[in-house]
Amino acid sequence: MDRKGACYDTPLGMTKDRSEVLQGTLDLIVLKTLDALGPLHGYGIARRIEQLSEDLLRLNEGTVYASLLRLVQKGWIRSEWGASENKRKAKFYSITKAGRKQLAREAESWERISGVIGRVLRLESQD
Amino acid sequence: MLRAVLSRIFGTFHRRQLDDEFAEEVREHLNMLVERFIARGMGPAEAFYAARRQFGGVTQMKEHLRERRALPPFDVLVQDVRHAFRQLRNAQWFTVSAALTLALGVGASTAVFAVLDTVVLRPLPYAEPERLMAFRSIDRRGAPHPTNLSYPTFFDFRARNRVFADMVSYRDERFTLTDSLPAVRVGGEIVSFDLFPLLGVQPVLGRGFLPEEEKAGIHVVVLSHALWKSRFGGDRGILGRRVRIDGMPFTVVGVAPADFRFPLDNPDVQLWAPLSEDATVSEFTPLTEQRGARVLDVIVRLKPGVTADQARAQMDLIAGSLARQYPDENKNIATTWVQPELEQLVGGSRKPLWILLGAVALVLLIACANVANLLLARSIERAREFALRMALGASRPAVVRQVLFEGLTLGLLGTAGGVLLALAALQGVLPLADDDIPIPRILQAGIDGRVLVFSMVMAVLTSVLFSLAPALQIVRVDPSGALKEGAPNIARGHHRFRSALIIGQIALGLVLLVGAELLIASFLYLMQRDPGFRPGHLLTFHIGLSETQYNVAGQLAFSDRLIKRLKAIPGVRTAASGRPLPLRGHQMSVAFDIEEHPAPAPERPYSDMAIVTPGYFDTMGISLLKGRDFGERDDDEAPPVLVVNEAFARKYFPGEEVIGKRIKPGATNGKEGMRMREIVGVVGNAKQEALNTEPDPIYYFPYKQLSWGLGTIVLRTAVPPLRVEPAVRAVLMSLDREAPMYDVRTGEEVSAAAIAGPRFLMVLMGSFAGIALLLTVVGLYSVLSYAVARRRREIGVRIAVGAGRREVLGLVLREAMQLVVVGLTLGLVGAVGAERLLKSMIFGVRRGDVSMVTVACCVMVITSMAAACVPATRAASVDPMQALRSE
Repeated sequence: MDRKGACYDTPLGMTKDRSEVLQGTLDLIVLKTLDALGPLHGYGIARRIEQLSEDLLRLNEGTVYASLLRLVQKGWIRSEWGASENKRKAKFYSITKAGRKQLAREAESWERISGVIGRVLRLESQD
Repeated sequence: MLRAVLSRIFGTFHRRQLDDEFAEEVREHLNMLVERFIARGMGPAEAFYAARRQFGGVTQMKEHLRERRALPPFDVLVQDVRHAFRQLRNAQWFTVSAALTLALGVGASTAVFAVLDTVVLRPLPYAEPERLMAFRSIDRRGAPHPTNLSYPTFFDFRARNRVFADMVSYRDERFTLTDSLPAVRVGGEIVSFDLFPLLGVQPVLGRGFLPEEEKAGIHVVVLSHALWKSRFGGDRGILGRRVRIDGMPFTVVGVAPADFRFPLDNPDVQLWAPLSEDATVSEFTPLTEQRGARVLDVIVRLKPGVTADQARAQMDLIAGSLARQYPDENKNIATTWVQPELEQLVGGSRKPLWILLGAVALVLLIACANVANLLLARSIERAREFALRMALGASRPAVVRQVLFEGLTLGLLGTAGGVLLALAALQGVLPLADDDIPIPRILQAGIDGRVLVFSMVMAVLTSVLFSLAPALQIVRVDPSGALKEGAPNIARGHHRFRSALIIGQIALGLVLLVGAELLIASFLYLMQRDPGFRPGHLLTFHIGLSETQYNVAGQLAFSDRLIKRLKAIPGVRTAASGRPLPLRGHQMSVAFDIEEHPAPAPERPYSDMAIVTPGYFDTMGISLLKGRDFGERDDDEAPPVLVVNEAFARKYFPGEEVIGKRIKPGATNGKEGMRMREIVGVVGNAKQEALNTEPDPIYYFPYKQLSWGLGTIVLRTAVPPLRVEPAVRAVLMSLDREAPMYDVRTGEEVSAAAIAGPRFLMVLMGSFAGIALLLTVVGLYSVLSYAVARRRREIGVRIAVGAGRREVLGLVLREAMQLVVVGLTLGLVGAVGAERLLKSMIFGVRRGDVSMVTVACCVMVITSMAAACVPATRAASVDPMQALRSE
């Protein structure tokens, strides 16, 4: 293990910097998923991400729950107990009004930044 | 933001429920994953593991979410404190020794701080204390020094003053309460009328004094709360009642509040009377009319907006004009002195107390080093535990936090113990100590809010201090390395750190040892110094004789009868009386004119004087060197005579035959003027002031030629002096039932009281040094023991290849010696500083005397080597076979 990079603050074994970026990204994905598909349980969200990312984004599914807790605490999503497809008890998460607003803001800034970064990268490749 | 906090607060209180809910969520998630994998054709077991893999660490995620859900500081705090307590409970031996060590350090610091706070830091307990000033004249003779005022001078200042709102004179006096038997002698204060308004104090009952109550013939009194309760049963009808004091009826006009004390440096004062007591006409000129009798202390209150300097400038003008008006008495006191009353009261105690606080701070540091040492030793044992916790997902800050919390818990335990110790010291031990300790309001020291805050700060600071080392070690722990067998890296780092701590302790310990030694040496010097009289087999006491019932002739007659009867008591060899006794300070200083070199009044020399009965020198054990003692025939009718001491003869008649010389002292009986007196004897130097290095010149009057009342009675006994006390009381009862006997002390007690201040400092500093030495030695012992245990294998190898017992012993002792030598070298610097700090407080020790430091170093080396011997012998007796096999 790389002594310097090993930081035990993040149980997922990622370095802090990377995980912070990923946290924000994951939160955005979860928020968008709930916005698009309506109430889902954690398993459902994990499947959706798997499907969308076409295996490009591999993550421990447990991480989803960390993201869900963050979003609940910020009031962007809420949770309630319901029955899953298999008629078992499951916790369903749905986006709130505040969450939709946040999503719009985040999406807009994401697009702007990704646009900028895209342009910058194209510039460099032309050189 | 607020929402998140609320959610976390909710989480804190519903931890169990949320944990369960999440567990269920995860279980369900995993089930669904398993089903999915089975549907894809995996076997159940394979699917189970695949699901787990895909989900990631379940326990870690649970832990992570749990931390995120609740309020981190609060939740973690509860958890950490709980954990800390569990840890400490599991290691009782460690906890008890660490907490005791801390309790010693914190207890000593708390007690000393409580005293410092009460004595020095607290403002005066009166209204607007910062405007209260002490006022004196400056006597320009010799080194200019502040001096007391006489009544006429005080009255002049008071009448012309424009800068002080109030000026109050005060002086100590003793009164005999004779309204019911037995008569008691109480301390009192004779004050000018506006004492209570000046201090801003309202009596709880009645009033203070009126201006007209300063007139001769008026007898009014304000009682202390304690006296009112004890002597008069707290009777509210006491106002206006007459009580018999010194055989005269005094009208009680007020009762002071329970916590009222004035003056603060005289805790014996139980009543206050206006200066009419000093104006009363008797056979002597009243004190209020003697311009040369400088007996008054003065306290003043500055008018708003007036500074001390402005006040002094104005008072200097008045003093100057008085000096021109009354050159005989006032020429030498033409300037004045204004200083904050608090400074005047506690200025002298400040330095010793701060030094003591510094000393206990060192003790506390040493205690902290010891606890840090214990913790380090423990964290080596626990290195694997910490590594394991981190490997299992505990964050590094969490582990450090845990260590700090253990430290804090330990610190609080130690502080609680320390506060109890301090309480015991302040309430149990301090009152037992001498009441002669010359530190004002020291007996009022106790544990209050301020002191508790101080202790709490101590607790936090010390726990941070001693947990720092182990915490730093943890930060450096490499979990994978620490989990391996032996973990040699940490141990080596620890050992270096612990050695550094020991070196620090030895250095600090040396500073304390040298400080204590200097004070002990100084005290021994003071004790062994010849006081000029023989304190063994000596009994001294006072008798409160009513001046209204006995005129001068009556007092002389009483004294004659008393001394005759006392001499007849079996076990009493001789009896006499004299005032003041040796070692009671410069109580009466009187100017005199030498016949051969007459001088105008302001230029005359002055010296201590005393009044004694025949046989006084013999009774006290003051040797008669030349000429004769006084005899019964040296009375009012006989030619006036004096006896002087050797220092007096040497100072004023150097190289001359002093017997037969004549001087004219200012002390008179009041009726007639100053009389030329012939010196008829020379006696040895009895010290008036225990701390003075030079003997004090003094001259003695025969009591029948200068009748200033009954002096202190002194008895030389053949038996232990206190054994004759009952017989003395019986004699006194038969002569006068109303005259109380008080201040009964043996000569040894008189000697001890005179050096109570140095003794107080010495005892405290000695105890601190003792504690420091003990802690240091214990620390050294534990470090060496650990080193030996660590090197068991190496020592085993050495013995196996032929090293002898002596070489192994030397190995350990050498390591100890290295630590001690480095510590002592560092400590020498501090020791020099300590010597410099204490310079003004030590007597009879030459500056730069290296013997003190040498002795301290020897003590340190010897005790250290003794401590090192146990682990060294243990090392020497290592069985090589066992040592080699054990690892």
